[in-house]
Amino acid sequence: MSLLDATGAAFRLLFGGDAELWGIVFISLKVALLGLAIAALPGILAGYLLAMKRFRGRRALVVLTQSLIAFPTVVVGLVLYMLLSRQGPFGSLALLFTQNAMILGQAILVFPILVAYTLSAVQGADSRAHETAVSLGAGPLRAALTTLNETRFAVLAGVINGFGRAISEVGCALMIGGNIAGLTRNITTAIALETSKGEFAQGIALGAVLVVLAFGVNLVMAMLQGEGGMK
Amino acid sequence: MSPLLKLDHLRKSFGERCLLDLDGLKIEVGHAYAVTGDNGAGKTTLLRILAGIEPGEIAGFEFRGLPLTHGRVPEHARHDIVYVHQHPYLFHTSVAHNIGYGLAARGIDAAARGPLVEEAIAWAGVDHLRGVAPAKLSGGEKQRVALARARVLKPHLFLLDEPTANLDGEARGQAIALIRQLVGDNGSLLIACHDRELIELPGMRRFHLAGGKLVET
Ligand SMILES: Nc1ncnc2c1ncn2[C@@H]1O[C@H](COP(=O)(O)OP(=O)(O)OP(=O)(O)O)[C@@H](O)[C@H]1O
Ligand SMILES: [Mg+2]
Repeated sequence: MSLLDATGAAFRLLFGGDAELWGIVFISLKVALLGLAIAALPGILAGYLLAMKRFRGRRALVVLTQSLIAFPTVVVGLVLYMLLSRQGPFGSLALLFTQNAMILGQAILVFPILVAYTLSAVQGADSRAHETAVSLGAGPLRAALTTLNETRFAVLAGVINGFGRAISEVGCALMIGGNIAGLTRNITTAIALETSKGEFAQGIALGAVLVVLAFGVNLVMAMLQGEGGMK
Repeated sequence: MSPLLKLDHLRKSFGERCLLDLDGLKIEVGHAYAVTGDNGAGKTTLLRILAGIEPGEIAGFEFRGLPLTHGRVPEHARHDIVYVHQHPYLFHTSVAHNIGYGLAARGIDAAARGPLVEEAIAWAGVDHLRGVAPAKLSGGEKQRVALARARVLKPHLFLLDEPTANLDGEARGQAIALIRQLVGDNGSLLIACHDRELIELPGMRRFHLAGGKLVET
């Protein structure tokens, strides 16, 4: 098949409502969003606490968070694989090569992003925001929610960036998902593995969807930065 | 009558430097006090410690007859003390939400907050600003919203940090008029200020802070 033919076929897949193609896209979105949802609360909370509290080892945790952002996804996948494989400590959970394993992997990948963005958001926040909340009688939880709400654009930027990482990574999804059709085959694993089997049209179509998603993420980020800059 | 707030000793150091070394402070119920002092004397720091948002070494603290716990201004006192920053911070929500914030923090539901917030908005003369984003308000408008946000809580003690320092003309006059009412309402106030007109408000008592010591003048 020539490249031109493949592109034409890709368009037909995209706009002809190809069930397999959109099923793969759906799995990608589902896994990325659920991973993000699981990581959101602990990630934002950890970032907030790292920004507000002074304790021994804090500096080390901040550095660790920053290095985890750049951690190779395939290594996260490798570690999870060993933990979840039948001989591994969590083998009895039978999670390997399931969507739940992929969701767990995505949650682990986006967690440090959420922590780091929230940390810098809260650190960069006007210290009077928290003081005002406390002085008006807010308890620790309300004061935390108020402070996070005051920095919502910067916190949300972390969430969006985390989604971008989750949707576009291939290493972890491949290692612990296994690219099982209809179950754990998502956009990136399909492109990585199916294209080599000659599925050019599907690869191009999925690539196009991924690019649109990635651009969308960047567009939203840019819009948020515009909003945040208006304060 | 026992004082609203009393303490025997208050110390505050930044590193080696001892900024505050008070040998006692007494604030009577229903009285207003102006705290004067040079720039850097520690007026803001004193107010922040009393507000419980800055740590300090305090001994013999009592607020409405209840003693200090854990070396910090205790929870029960913090609910009765409201500190207003020199440049008040307004949450990026709405004017009404800002004024109702402390009420919500006290567990008062929205239906009960409504009339209190309305009354406070009218008191501060900020009704025409309710549609404006708080961040866009002028310094004087922010100060008035902050005063309303504090007053609606009916705290036993207001701590105002230079409430007119950045204002002039009409805005300053409006802020002074509101503070005059707070003083007249029989609340207790501790106001850090340089503003002669505030210092000379009727009934105002005076403290002067210098060399870490507070003296009544
Ligand atoms: N967190 C801090 N760390 C170190 N020094 C501080 C800190 N906060 C305040 N100071 C110092 O304490 C001193 C008193 O500050 P403070 O703001 O209380 O003075 P002030 O009387 O309110 O002055 P002004 O009239 O200018 O408002 C200043 O010299 C300031 O630099
Ligand atoms: Mg000051």
